[in-house]
Amino acid sequence: MRHRLILRNVTHAFEDGGQRRMILDALNLQVAEGELVAVMGPSGSGKSTFLSIAGALLEPTSGEVLLDGEAIAGQYKQALSDMRLRKLGFIFQSANLIPYLKVREQLMLVAKLGGMDKTNATERARELLRELGLDHRRNAYPDKLSGGERQRVAIARALMNDPAVLLADEPTASLDASRGMDVVRMLAEEAKERGKSAVLVTHDERVLPLCDRVLYLENGCLLEK
Amino acid sequence: MYLAIREMRFAKVRYSLIAAIILLVAFLVLFVTGLARGLAYDNAASIQNMDATHFIMEKGSNHRFTRSEVGESLLYRASASAGEENVEPLGVKMTTVTADGTAQKLDVTLLGMRANSWLMPAVTEGKAISPQAPGEVLVDRKLKDTGIGLGTVIVDQASGLKWTVAGFVSQESFSHSPAVFLGEDQWAQLQRKSAAGPKAEAAGGTTYSAIAVKANKTLANKLAAALPAAEIVTKSDAVSAIPGYKEEQGSLWMMIVFLFVIASFVLAVFFYVVTIQKTSQFGILKAIGTRTAYLARSVALQVLLLSTASLIVSVLLVRAMEAVLPDGMPFQLQLSTLALTCAAFILMSLAGSLLSVWKVTRIDALDAIGRAAA
Repeated sequence: MRHRLILRNVTHAFEDGGQRRMILDALNLQVAEGELVAVMGPSGSGKSTFLSIAGALLEPTSGEVLLDGEAIAGQYKQALSDMRLRKLGFIFQSANLIPYLKVREQLMLVAKLGGMDKTNATERARELLRELGLDHRRNAYPDKLSGGERQRVAIARALMNDPAVLLADEPTASLDASRGMDVVRMLAEEAKERGKSAVLVTHDERVLPLCDRVLYLENGCLLEK
Repeated sequence: MYLAIREMRFAKVRYSLIAAIILLVAFLVLFVTGLARGLAYDNAASIQNMDATHFIMEKGSNHRFTRSEVGESLLYRASASAGEENVEPLGVKMTTVTADGTAQKLDVTLLGMRANSWLMPAVTEGKAISPQAPGEVLVDRKLKDTGIGLGTVIVDQASGLKWTVAGFVSQESFSHSPAVFLGEDQWAQLQRKSAAGPKAEAAGGTTYSAIAVKANKTLANKLAAALPAAEIVTKSDAVSAIPGYKEEQGSLWMMIVFLFVIASFVLAVFFYVVTIQKTSQFGILKAIGTRTAYLARSVALQVLLLSTASLIVSVLLVRAMEAVLPDGMPFQLQLSTLALTCAAFILMSLAGSLLSVWKVTRIDALDAIGRAAA
């Protein structure tokens, strides 16, 4: 089985008022393709830092991050930017869509940035939107969508460039229970069907049954309970 | 491109408002520029219309035609040095005339030159003056409004000389006063009637205000070397030394420069505020892999689109305005001036976008993580 996201001995620390604060301490994680891993933890446990490092937004103090076998350490900003574009799919909290782009255009933008051929992109966007039940909303602006629809668009956008890894940052934070369940179910299904490694950072215990594994971030390490 | 255009389509009101402001400023820039050029031309039309490149003036005359006095000996030496066909004497005198039989006084500038000189403008109505018909002059068309026609006799107040209007010329003025063109002999008579300066007597002949020269740089240098007692003045220097010219142009130019600065500041502030508002949006775009250069280009493109569109509309407005302006209002906007002004305006707008571009490059993609709202 292939592991598309690997974090090996990742440590992150910073100086805070002369004191060294350890956020992540030799953290290890491997996510297999088709697997959805939930990461739980209290506020301040370093969930955001973990996600930023896994998402190639932040370079760890030490340790190794491999996306689809490719290391992110020592890359230039532009190369990291391209890596996020091609290898990663982000799903953020509540409203993370671009307000002035229609649903279809949210996906087309990603395709365009990734240099995808226009006909292919149109076809792929249509297919993704159909799969996520958004076909009838494809010409709507985000402010006309419900919270659940917005997160579904975000999932479609994250999948547009066929990334190796999906990262979701509390995607159910602003949704009610059943909508939240729907969104995570879709995330799990897409990860399975398309062979992605998916990580879901969440507070929401109701969605845990939908995940393959649940990890807790404590004292800078991920533990299985 | 993709983002820039779609955002403008989405926030139509916001972008139309800023476009309207830029349009008004651009219109004002073009209008004042046209006015400045118009006034500049109106002021010094006669000198600017001349084919001369340089003028030889008396040393210490501060480049002013009305102060300078050059004698015939200088004219001979200049001809010898630059070639006779490149050199023409020119007399300039500001005076007051009345049309014979009326009491109305008119301020005019008398320009004396050889009747067949290349300084002589083309006649638009009537006939040209010739040495065979002394006492005939050409006058600017503007004098028609005061009741002067072909054959009208005008009297110079200072000398009492009388001249008959033989023809009209168009767009000929000096220091905003209409020009009257005299032949060589009439200029000489005028000089004799007015209290002739000691220099004129010493030179033993007619004096002129300046000598007009057609010369390239080398020839001008050669002349300067050959005539150490005189000063070689370029045409543009001579024009700026015309009374009132520099002052008039100075204040108009200050307005234009300020308008440019204002336009650039308005754009800078608007886009800066909008960019700050969109910080988290830019963060998300960067997080999903948009390059900073792409976002910066997008902002610059919006500024470019807004200023170009506003400019195009304001050029049309200015052209329409020009068509309905009264004749008395000097307005001149040549294609070259227009192009230059537009280019400067767009450059200033782009300068105004720099602040926002800088801001965009500073936004961190990390902002997108752990945020509830975009």
